[in-house]
Amino acid sequence: MAGILIKNAFVIDPLSGIKGEVMDIAINNGKIVEEAPSGAEVIDAAGCLTLPGGIDSHSHVCGTKVNFGRYMSPEDMRAGRTARKGVMHVTSGYSVPTTFGNSYRYSTMGYTTILEGAMAPLEARHTHEEFTATPHQDMLANTLFDGNWSIMEAVREKDTRRAAAVVAWVLAAAKGFAIKLTNPGGTEAWGWGEDVQSVHDPVPKFGVTPAEIISTMIRANEILNLPHSVHLHCNNLGVPGNYQTTLDTIDLAPDLNSERQSLYLTHVQFHSYGGSTWRDICSKSEDITRAVNNRPQVVMDMGQIMFGRTTTMTADGPMEFKLYMLHHNKWSNHDVELETGSGIIPVYYGRKSLVNCVMWSIGLELALLTRNPWQCLLSTDSPNGAPFVKYPEIIALLMSRRFRENERRMIDPRTEHFVPLFAIERELDWYEIAVMTRAAQAKALGITRIGKGYLAPGAEADVAIFPLRPDNVDPSVDYQQVMAGFSRTRYTIKRGRVVARDGEVVVEGANSTIWTKAHVPDAYDMGLDPEFRKKFEQYYTVRMTNYPVQDVYLPRGVRIETEAQL
Amino acid sequence: MRVILKTRPREKPRVPIEAEEIIPQNFLRKDDITVFLGNKERSLDDLFFVTIEGPAVSPDQVEVVLTGDTGVIKRVGEYMNAGRIIIEGDIGMHCGNFMSAGEIIIRGNADSWLGREMRGGRILCEGNAGHYCAAGYRGEKRGMRGGMVEVKGNAGDFAAEYLSGGEVVIHGNCGDLAGVEMRGGTLVIGGDCARPCGNMTGGTCMVFGKASQFLPTFRANGSQEVEYAGKRYRMNLFRGDVANRGKGTLMVRA
Repeated sequence: MAGILIKNAFVIDPLSGIKGEVMDIAINNGKIVEEAPSGAEVIDAAGCLTLPGGIDSHSHVCGTKVNFGRYMSPEDMRAGRTARKGVMHVTSGYSVPTTFGNSYRYSTMGYTTILEGAMAPLEARHTHEEFTATPHQDMLANTLFDGNWSIMEAVREKDTRRAAAVVAWVLAAAKGFAIKLTNPGGTEAWGWGEDVQSVHDPVPKFGVTPAEIISTMIRANEILNLPHSVHLHCNNLGVPGNYQTTLDTIDLAPDLNSERQSLYLTHVQFHSYGGSTWRDICSKSEDITRAVNNRPQVVMDMGQIMFGRTTTMTADGPMEFKLYMLHHNKWSNHDVELETGSGIIPVYYGRKSLVNCVMWSIGLELALLTRNPWQCLLSTDSPNGAPFVKYPEIIALLMSRRFRENERRMIDPRTEHFVPLFAIERELDWYEIAVMTRAAQAKALGITRIGKGYLAPGAEADVAIFPLRPDNVDPSVDYQQVMAGFSRTRYTIKRGRVVARDGEVVVEGANSTIWTKAHVPDAYDMGLDPEFRKKFEQYYTVRMTNYPVQDVYLPRGVRIETEAQL
Repeated sequence: MRVILKTRPREKPRVPIEAEEIIPQNFLRKDDITVFLGNKERSLDDLFFVTIEGPAVSPDQVEVVLTGDTGVIKRVGEYMNAGRIIIEGDIGMHCGNFMSAGEIIIRGNADSWLGREMRGGRILCEGNAGHYCAAGYRGEKRGMRGGMVEVKGNAGDFAAEYLSGGEVVIHGNCGDLAGVEMRGGTLVIGGDCARPCGNMTGGTCMVFGKASQFLPTFRANGSQEVEYAGKRYRMNLFRGDVANRGKGTLMVRA
């Protein structure tokens, strides 16, 4: 593979401390190097914004529930059709596109790494198969532990070490990356038609509370030295007045790791509602961001909603049922044996709906009120808040107060009585956007150790060159240009190869799937544990020997190995 | 303007043709209409003898006539919004999908999904229609929303499934599960049918033949006289589907 030399690039690389310098980047053998080899292809970036490849730290792009979203929404599949062109396959779908659709659209926006937000371990094979068909991004899978019986039993016995051992076994079996808790306890309670209302509500039949599950899992995560922290979708998603639950959850987070956060809160917009009913719902983003500003051990992502049609999908079954009771349209709920559940509902977020306008404002407020951009990452919880193709619009909204004021005229005029958004003057700059879309993600996920998220020599050569010249674009005025620029890179380089150019994908991809293997002593090998084995014999529909995902499902797996402190 | 499309003889006459571009408005707007033969894109001239007679200034004045071996042509009239299509023989699946105005006349039989999710306009099928006539597609909760579909012959299973507006008249018999999940609109069945209107929540369905395997979840609600095809019939009225708290009306000839 010949190298590449990118000349005259306006580089912002927060992890290496580069805040905007015109410089050259040399690439050889898929890595950033000091000097390009002779005969390297020269790309003249001509002063254009050059960032490390984008990283999405929470998106739903692959797996059984995404696929179910596809086949329950024929109207979505009719949207966004593109024909076969060059190496590009046919694609279709808007909020739940085909896997190639996801991959191409992410790639043309400069994204090279995606974390799938929720993978049920039992259904991991399907997720990995779809990863293979998402060829232009390296993929990671958050693995669901929110309703795992073995975990809840360990929590009941206050045995953090056993919980850690279960996590290690399941992550290795499902080839997952990190711990995801979705409405911890609530999804399991939903199996009995109940839900949990606060972090101190006991889960029926198990007698543990969400707070105990969260605290135990945070500690288990650190025992295993996993690269990422616990990735938490709080209880009470989308319920007016739920901000109190979120604050209680933030209070649970100890500061255990000096490298990164100890708790990652995802799509916090959905968890920052005040009021008591849908009629008096209001923004509590100020309370939430105050708590986050005071706790460097917590990182969150926005979970911004954008107006338009989309599909909600989550492992939070009870919440999706509540949503169904509002919409009375098609819906699905699903239970995954001893592990978790899920639900899917297509929705429409309208500018005429006050509730939706308040939600839209909250997401932006979270990003604007969090002082440290490393603590609030850009996401839409794609496709729950909006499909990821809306990211450029969100970037423009964050960078331009004028754009926000223009939007204000289009939305429900009562909105300003319920939200502080329009009093916020802050406009993010290029550096902060670079942090919120790649560097902070790499740090939060702990994948800088495998060379992700920065451009110093030794890093993976994932680079995005946008057709934007920071020296002559004023983002607070030229927000349309910012939006267009972030929608379509001039070049997206993935592992040293140009994969997309001016909105078109030019090569067949070859991604890798990153997963974690925590080495535990034999005494903690759950594969040998009689109690754990019994779960498979008595309850699961599969045998323990058939449960682990075989290596053949990960043609290009990258294993991150850690040593557990057990 | 009158556009006559006569199918050319083909080596493999059973390979289906996907022809969503055959709609009146396209013949005014563009001259590079293409259709898919299997997975290959072909120009209209490759597959049809095309004759165009007379001028037109608006799509309303365009009449498209399809003749020859038309039974394998799918998606004719998809998204049409004006004009008229006359099909001299049979027609393939998905004819008149999402049409919003205009008229389609089929002299022969229609395959499945005739007039699926249509919004307006009129379809007349002089032969039989296949399954899912005037229905919603899989995963779609609202089927036909407006317009009129008339079938002179019989229809297959799931006729007018998810009907939520407009009128569907089937003069012959229907298969199983006619009018299931109806939300609105009117369904008239001249002949027999089985298990009609399960889960209906709104709209009116009239069965002038025999309704077999009648569902137990409908509440009797008196009787009424209704006129159909020039005769007056006494009909038993039912409300339902009670299992779904529905407020639809189902009438069956007494």
